Amino acid sequence: MNSNGTPKKKFIFTDSGRMEKILSQYPDKRSATLPLLHLAQTQKGFITGAIINAVAQHTETHPAEVMDCVSFYTMFFSRPQGTNKLQVCQTLSCSLNGADDFVDHITQKYGTKPGETTSDGKFTLLKVECLGSCGTAPVIQINNDYHEGLSINELDKLLDSIP
Amino acid sequence: MSDFEPVLTEHIHQKDCHTLSFYKSVGGYTALEKVLKMNPAEVTEEVKDSNLRGRGGAGFPAGIKWGFIPKDTDKPKYLINNADESEPGTFKDRLLMNKVPHQMLEGMIIAAYAIGCQTSFIYIRGEFYKEFKMLEMAVDEAYESNLLGQNILGSNYNLDVVIHRGAGAYICGEETGLIESLEGKRGWPRIKPPFPAIEGYLQSPTIVNNVETLSCIPHIITRGASWFKSIGPEKGPGPRLFCISGRVNNPGVFEEPMGIALKDLIFERAGGIPDGKKLKAVFPGGSSSAILTAEEALDVNMDFDELVEKKTMLGSAGVIVMDETVDMVQACLNIARFYAHESCGQCTPCREGTAWLVKMLTRLVNGGGTPKDIDMIFEITDNIGGLIDFSKGSFGKTICPFGEAVAWPVRSFVEKFKDEFLAYLPKEKIVV
Amino acid sequence: MPLLKIDDKEIQVESGTTILEIAIASGIEIPYYCYHPALEVVGSCRMCLVQVEGMPKLQVSCNTFVGEVHPDRKVNGKYDMVVHTQNELVVKERKNILEFLLLNHPLDCPVCDQAGECYLQDYSFKFGNAHSRFEEEKRVRPNEYLGSQIVINHNRCILCSRCVRFTQEISGTSELFVEARGYNSKIAALEDKPLDNLLAGNVADICPVGALLSTDYIHKNRIWNLEQKPSVCQDCSVGCNVDVFSQQDQIFRLTARENQDVNGYFMCDIGRYGFHRFEKIERIIHPMVRNGKSFNVLDWDEAIKKTADLIEKSKDKTAGIVSPFHTNESNYLLGLLMKETLGFLPPITGEEITFPTKFRISADRSPNLRGVNDICGDLVKDFTSIIKTRDIRGLYILDDGVDRKLDDSWKDILAKMDFVIVQSYAMTELAKSAHIVLPGLAPFEREGTITNDKGRIQWLRPSLATKGDSKPDWEILMLVRNALHKESEYFADLGEVIKKMGDQFPNYSGISLFKIGTQGMALT
Repeated sequence: MNSNGTPKKKFIFTDSGRMEKILSQYPDKRSATLPLLHLAQTQKGFITGAIINAVAQHTETHPAEVMDCVSFYTMFFSRPQGTNKLQVCQTLSCSLNGADDFVDHITQKYGTKPGETTSDGKFTLLKVECLGSCGTAPVIQINNDYHEGLSINELDKLLDSIP
Repeated sequence: MSDFEPVLTEHIHQKDCHTLSFYKSVGGYTALEKVLKMNPAEVTEEVKDSNLRGRGGAGFPAGIKWGFIPKDTDKPKYLINNADESEPGTFKDRLLMNKVPHQMLEGMIIAAYAIGCQTSFIYIRGEFYKEFKMLEMAVDEAYESNLLGQNILGSNYNLDVVIHRGAGAYICGEETGLIESLEGKRGWPRIKPPFPAIEGYLQSPTIVNNVETLSCIPHIITRGASWFKSIGPEKGPGPRLFCISGRVNNPGVFEEPMGIALKDLIFERAGGIPDGKKLKAVFPGGSSSAILTAEEALDVNMDFDELVEKKTMLGSAGVIVMDETVDMVQACLNIARFYAHESCGQCTPCREGTAWLVKMLTRLVNGGGTPKDIDMIFEITDNIGGLIDFSKGSFGKTICPFGEAVAWPVRSFVEKFKDEFLAYLPKEKIVV
Repeated sequence: MPLLKIDDKEIQVESGTTILEIAIASGIEIPYYCYHPALEVVGSCRMCLVQVEGMPKLQVSCNTFVGEVHPDRKVNGKYDMVVHTQNELVVKERKNILEFLLLNHPLDCPVCDQAGECYLQDYSFKFGNAHSRFEEEKRVRPNEYLGSQIVINHNRCILCSRCVRFTQEISGTSELFVEARGYNSKIAALEDKPLDNLLAGNVADICPVGALLSTDYIHKNRIWNLEQKPSVCQDCSVGCNVDVFSQQDQIFRLTARENQDVNGYFMCDIGRYGFHRFEKIERIIHPMVRNGKSFNVLDWDEAIKKTADLIEKSKDKTAGIVSPFHTNESNYLLGLLMKETLGFLPPITGEEITFPTKFRISADRSPNLRGVNDICGDLVKDFTSIIKTRDIRGLYILDDGVDRKLDDSWKDILAKMDFVIVQSYAMTELAKSAHIVLPGLAPFEREGTITNDKGRIQWLRPSLATKGDSKPDWEILMLVRNALHKESEYFADLGEVIKKMGDQFPNYSGISLFKIGTQGMALT
């Protein structure tokens, strides 16, 4: 129940086929926790309380155990994020190759500090740790896609081109 | 240019090199055909004989690890392919997965066969989405061609592969942290004993191997353990993918024999330092290794044992080059901050110590440092990760090697570049 | 059996035990936080590090197993393992681990409930540095309610995760989890699933520091003001062993006492907080005789005489009502006093609950039903009809003190009696309808034996002093019996009653309070 007495909305996986496939792949249902959370976050944009309850039900665990995972892993968000997550790597090789300038540039361009979202909900700026592509530093990951070795100008063009 | 004939990356520049048809056209999956006619124990012996050491960071001999699987249990055995490449400076597994996923897959199937596994997993870090899709496609191709699933290539061996995405945690690259994460929990490493080979995933015997390690397996089978041993030093042989990044003209992945001189990697393969600047310091094996000064770096070969003698390690072979323009204190803080962010928080020294280091270094960088802070850094790193002098034994106090991974680099920065740290201390005011 | 040398002691041990288990059993002190004998070993606090010869790193003694080694590898030719817990290296490392633990820990001792029974205080004093070298800003977070009974002070928490493991393994309810990671880790519960199971109070017991606090006890007292007395919980027939903490005339809290044959290490919240209901009830502390609608106070001699006279007059038509809330001795003496004991007041029942590790709350919420059945035999369920058929005229009732509403059938029975003697400590509706009221003791004032539903006889011990003119229930019954039958025995103390009880009931023979001790005895 919500605090005003209305029943809490249940979360239903739209891609139920994929959800079933995920559950059937593992010898133990709890192992499906992370993949189901990824699937739910792709659908909803972030992890809600209803998602936690749904995943707990499917994996036959307690909601607290699912929440434990959600709060541990950095790729799961408990709050809504912008449509485009601008994840700039800040670890050594990227930092040595201008990644800090990326962050400053984006902050200047959109007025968002790291962790903040633009008022139109289009961009969220996030500083992340090593993305595993140090050879093409500086690396920025926008949602699922890596964009590597860009100059500031190229970054600008890329951001401007996002619908 | 290198005169070494690449083995793992032989075909990465060819069109469609990632497809099954291409891989088969260059002799792919013949190793698997050969293995399916062998006794699983024979396969393990061959890999043991090759002296193949793990390429994920720990460098543990793969064949010996496979041999730990108990023979007298009816619990299911699991093979997990550790594709959670998160060590700063390392980006070689990504290359292998993007360009030659079938090579890794073939190695996985052979390894699974050797240990008697029927369900295996690829744990790939969540950020590698493109690579995840690539692996999905490769696995689908394999199933369609009877290379996975029931009765592989007409034998009575069955194997399923499940691709499991991580969700952003460096600690899930540690084998027991990975197993916990695969079980659907937070990635808190487990205390050992019990060891994963005895009680791993779902309390069953489990082997965790790195992508590159598994990619070597088909070649060991087709060309033989002796061939493998002949490449580089015998105790830690084979072709190796070295990653170079940081301040170099030509960063990237270079396949060379184990034992190549570090200076060759930096100055020949990677084209040296841009703008004619001088080399200052190098991470030889990802950010978890102690740094080498320029002088030390110019005098060492990339070999497991030699680097240990120099009080650092080969680790994941992720070389990060720092030149004279790099502020060592800022670099140290950057690395400390990485570890504080990635600490899982389970055990006391790491949880509290990493944050303490970051706070202290931040204060130092902002001009609030005192001389005793420099000594404190040594104390704190000792208390987390133990002494760097291996002859005295490693006195790490943490559950997993993360303690050593934060202590050694941070300590080495202060040890070898103390002057730069001292320069951040506020100047003594002279009262006239 | 492997031979372990630990410091300067040589101990033969069972293969497969851990160094810490051996140390605890042998009285060697190795400090620890996250280890708890009832919970899974995690080895995360790193406090129990010891040096094992032959191993380069310090090992956590909670997860290092001692086993037989090949004769060639025995140390000095005879030891399977040699452990140092007090040498320079171990002492230094302990100091450092403690320093890490205290990094963010506030200097709260003056205002923290745990002071005086705090592992952090104790180990800091014994093993720690006198100062911390931390000069940065501490991590500060506000307190939070994890459930209605448990509050967490995050700043004091050392993340030993005992509480999380407790809710996962013991209560099976998994309300608690660790949120976030690294330096930002904290213990949390979901907003819509707070820590409100019936074993919740145990987390405050097992928390080694003052992070998890019981809202019932918070800021009420200090451990050094309190007297600790062992006893047995009286809120159901499981009979969990408890420690009662009181100061003068007030009980402040109950904690579980270990008994591997009854309750393990824990107790439920029903018993834990149940003592509060005795704080506000209207007590009977003087013998009284009815006078119209009210009572006149009597002294004991008068009261005993009046009672004996009443019973004498309708000798064969008096029956006793026993009580599964009273001790074996009280029920026994009622049996000796009355020719027949018929039954007891309507039972108090609740839900039978079993937790994953077999910890149980019994549906029978009285502590001594088994004892009553053993000692009083032949109890009839439907004694209202017996009362009619045997023409019972007088009742002597051991009132359990539960203030029941009397139903019509009971009211009928009482109305028809020539006399009703009620021995009670509380002015229940039943007591109000009595002709004579004799003041017995309240549950925390009583002493005697009770038998749990698994046939274990345990020693119930008093925590509070008797009030007013109240006497122990068995003593009152003995005095009445002595007045009635001049040749009946006078028992000088409980021990003599128990002995006599044993003569009459074979499975209670050979029992003494000394033998029962703190852990009880299984009846044969």
